[in-house]
Amino acid sequence: MTEGTQSRVEFDEHGKRTTYDEIEVGRDLGSLEWVITEEDIEKQCSIDEDFHPWFSFDLEEQEGTEVGPWDGVIAPPQIQYRPPRWLLSRTYNIRGVFYKWDYENLKPIRPGETITVTGRILDKWIDREREFMSYEAEGRDEEGDIVFRTTRVHALDVLKRDTPRAGAGEDSGFKQEKI
Amino acid sequence: MAIITKDTPVGAELPVFARRFRNEMFAMGDVKTIHNDDAAAQREGLPRAVAVGPQVAALIFRMMRTCFEEGWIVGGKVALTFRRPVWSNDFATARGVITDTEVEDDGVRMICDVWIERADGEKAIVGTCSALVAGD
Repeated sequence: MTEGTQSRVEFDEHGKRTTYDEIEVGRDLGSLEWVITEEDIEKQCSIDEDFHPWFSFDLEEQEGTEVGPWDGVIAPPQIQYRPPRWLLSRTYNIRGVFYKWDYENLKPIRPGETITVTGRILDKWIDREREFMSYEAEGRDEEGDIVFRTTRVHALDVLKRDTPRAGAGEDSGFKQEKI
Repeated sequence: MAIITKDTPVGAELPVFARRFRNEMFAMGDVKTIHNDDAAAQREGLPRAVAVGPQVAALIFRMMRTCFEEGWIVGGKVALTFRRPVWSNDFATARGVITDTEVEDDGVRMICDVWIERADGEKAIVGTCSALVAGD
C-alpha cells in the first residue's frame, strides 16, 4: 500500500484526531488517581506471561508462605504503562504508534495503594517527514514518594505528514481506563 | 536469588526469553484495533496487525527481573526504542548483554544492552536497561 493512495485518519469513534499543530508543548496533562487492584495485577501477569511468586495472591493466601521481601504482594513494574497513557488520552486523541519508552522503578507498586499520576507534554518535532510528540509522567504514592517516572514518545501517524487527513479509522488511542 | 551479581563480568549474556504472539491475544471484545485486525492496521498505514509494544517489551522486563530480582523492582531503569513492529502473530525473543557497571550509593548498577528479535531476525525493539546488585 503506498502513501499516495491513502489518507491519514482524521477521526475515530472518540472524535477528531489531534493534529501536530494542536499539541501544546509544556501543557499540564492534569492528574489521575489510580488504585491498583488484585485483578489488575493478575491481568498484567497474564497478558505479559510474567508470573512470579511476588505477584501471586494465591501464594500469599497460604498461611506461613513467605513470598518475598516486600511485605505483601506487589505488581510487575510495567503495570505503570497504562495510567500515563490514559492521562494523555484525556487531553489528546492520539492513536499513532509507540516509538520510545523510558521509565524508572523507584518503589514497588502495591495493591490497594492510591497512586497519583501527573504529567505534561515535553516536546514535539518532525523527523523524516513524520510527526512526533513526547510527554513525561510520574506516579506518587500516598506518602508523596515517587513510585515511578516515565517519558514516552509517540509518532502521531505511521504515514508521512504530507499525506492528507480524511475519513475515519477503526482504532483509537483512547481506551477504557482499566488494565 | 538474582542470577547476576557484582562479579558477573561485562560481556556476559543474559538468559534468553521468547514468546509466540497470536492475534487472539489482542482481542478487545468486538473492538477492532491495529493490534487485532489487519484492516484497522492498514487504515493507519501499517501492512498488517501489530503486537502491543509494551506486551512485547515485557519479555525484556521479565528477563531483567529474573536476572536482578529486587534490584529490578527498586532501581530498575529502561530506555527502549520501538524501531520496527512485531506482528500480532510473530515470534519474539528477548536478549541482553552486560555492557558496563557503575558504583552507586545503593549498590552497583549493571547496565545492559537489550533487544527483541522478530522471527525474521530483525531487531524490533532496542535499548538499554539497568538494575542494582549488592556491592561490597
